Amino acid sequence: MLVLQDVYKTYRMGDTDVRALRGVSLELPPAAFSVIMGPSGSGKSTLMHLAGCLDVPTSGCVEYGGHDLTVLSSRERAAFRAAEVGFVFQKYNLVANLSAMDNVALPLLLGGSTTKQAHGRAREALETVDLLDRIGHRPAKLSGGEQQRVAIARALIGDPAMILADEPTGNLDTATGDRILELLHGLTEEDKSVIVVTHNPEIAAEADLLVHLRDGRIESLQRAEVAR
Amino acid sequence: MSLNLLRLALKNIGSRKTRSWLTILGVLVGVTAVVALLSIGTGVQEAVLQQFEDIGYDIILIAPMNAGGPGRAVGGPGSGAMGGRFAAPSAALVDDSSSGGLFSPDSLGAGSSEAGDAQEQPDRADEALGRMLSSGLDTDLLLTKVPQLVEAGTLGTQIHPVDTGATTGFLRVSTPSMEFLESFPSVLGGFEIAGGRTFTNVAENQVVVGARSAELLQLAVGDSISIGGIPFVVVGILEASDQSVEGAGDAASEEGGLSGQSLAQNLGSSGSADLVLRGMTNTDDSLFVLDERASEVFDTRGAMSVTIARVEPGASISETKDAINVAIGLQEATGTPISIQEVADEIQGTLSLIETVLASIAAVALIVGGVGLMNTMYTAVLERTREIGILKSVGARDGQVMTLFLIDSGLMGLIGGVLGLLLGSLLSLFGTRLLGPSLGVGSFTPVIDAGLVGGVLAFSFVLGALSGAWPAWRASRLNPVDALAAE
Repeated sequence: MLVLQDVYKTYRMGDTDVRALRGVSLELPPAAFSVIMGPSGSGKSTLMHLAGCLDVPTSGCVEYGGHDLTVLSSRERAAFRAAEVGFVFQKYNLVANLSAMDNVALPLLLGGSTTKQAHGRAREALETVDLLDRIGHRPAKLSGGEQQRVAIARALIGDPAMILADEPTGNLDTATGDRILELLHGLTEEDKSVIVVTHNPEIAAEADLLVHLRDGRIESLQRAEVAR
Repeated sequence: MSLNLLRLALKNIGSRKTRSWLTILGVLVGVTAVVALLSIGTGVQEAVLQQFEDIGYDIILIAPMNAGGPGRAVGGPGSGAMGGRFAAPSAALVDDSSSGGLFSPDSLGAGSSEAGDAQEQPDRADEALGRMLSSGLDTDLLLTKVPQLVEAGTLGTQIHPVDTGATTGFLRVSTPSMEFLESFPSVLGGFEIAGGRTFTNVAENQVVVGARSAELLQLAVGDSISIGGIPFVVVGILEASDQSVEGAGDAASEEGGLSGQSLAQNLGSSGSADLVLRGMTNTDDSLFVLDERASEVFDTRGAMSVTIARVEPGASISETKDAINVAIGLQEATGTPISIQEVADEIQGTLSLIETVLASIAAVALIVGGVGLMNTMYTAVLERTREIGILKSVGARDGQVMTLFLIDSGLMGLIGGVLGLLLGSLLSLFGTRLLGPSLGVGSFTPVIDAGLVGGVLAFSFVLGALSGAWPAWRASRLNPVDALAAE
């Protein structure tokens, strides 16, 4: 369970302060498909960064499994991300000079696994996303959908409890996007919490928990029964 | 885990080939320069010191004329008076067999210390000049007054007209005594006979010929030649020495002529004690006549002489020198004692200074390479900002990001170091072949020892890592969210 309590986040952008989140309190249940929606600048991505421990709030509390994430050191946050979180980004964010295999293996390689172990697991993960035939390709040689599947395989390889996807279908055509969503949604059946940030109302239709943000505040919050 | 980082860094270097190689090239050039200069410099130093070691550190040289410091003792007064007398470059042998071999009127006039008939009085010789050329020391008296000396001898040198029948010219004639040859062969490069034999009879006009002189004059054992108008028989030809003064600003010898004036020229122009030594130890261009014989048949007033003495093992060189100075005063002679050690120290000091200056210049090249590397790494951090964000999002710690960049730059430094080491070694091997003769140390080998290799490799890796340290630190401190937002 990920809990945000009265979270504020203010960025400094040039001379102005951008108040991305203004007092957000939220509980994201485990093994659920949560969707965060809202217009641009509503604070969706910021919320996801805080949930994934990529950033720290200006004030407020982010708890995971009863532990306060805001007090962690940079090193501890990195360890938390490595162990508990898998990110999937709109721009895929693969390392350009590494093969699909190495991209997927990257979290394990950084975590100290041997190359053999890491590659073995990467192979399994790529099999899950049906990309075994693209194993040696670099990102530039892969289509958008393939790159996103590589990114999902990378997010899965460390067996994290939480998958955070920021506009995962934003750069994909509808059919490919649907496939990616299906893939993400299926992960909840493996007891993973999947949190998707999106503009896409079709994704929202699948949500166990649907959060609408506007101007850094929660505008509405709907549980599955209501959403469906 | 660091092995994984190493693999990742290697992949990165490989994926940016052109820039990586250009960066490596910057380091390579600097390392090449440093390696080449240091190895050649050390090689020259060792070769020069070997020469002194061959002569022996227990030897003290008493050069004529008291002229202050050790380095200047001999040559100080030489540039004027002696230049006029001996240092005419055209005094070199005119090796022209087609025209029958004649020396020019110029050379006859300028180099006429003993030109023409030996009986003829040198018209400009006077007492003062004699004192400049010879200390006038009595070596037997010196040995009794300076108990620290075990043996002493005098080596005279004179320029004489030489006529082989086919070739004529002026040549340096050294006049060691029989005793000198026995006591101090090392001063004459070992005085090793390649053909024939050494002197056997002080009553006969025997000459031993240096290797190059023999070659150019086309002399063989048993040939007759005229030296200073006196007929001599060649009894022996010396082993070629390792060294040569060829090319040391000596146009005549470069053209294949014989540099009979090399000693005189050295004294006249630069006049450092080492050149006296080199003049003596370079036996290739000389003719040798026993002093016992020379004093009979030549007019030796124009001869330059150097007294050589050997110090008892264990005796203090400086105390011995003091005692020699006293003895010189007692004999009312002139001269300055110089120990081989002093000469060696002086030369080594000069060589070290030159080496330091050159190495400093090379080091600048290396620093420039380092700056290039830093620039590359800094740009790489800017370019790879998003990648840094990716690494952090998948759990990379700050330290790992920093290590990744440090390995990256360190590896480029190291590769530049390895290649520079190879190239520098090759360069120094070629360089020594080119430089050996002109430095007058003959053949010598560059010194590329474990210290240089290890030092260069460690230094280039550290240079690489240090150049990359600041960019790497910057990379590691990037906020992952900002880094991911970068284009």
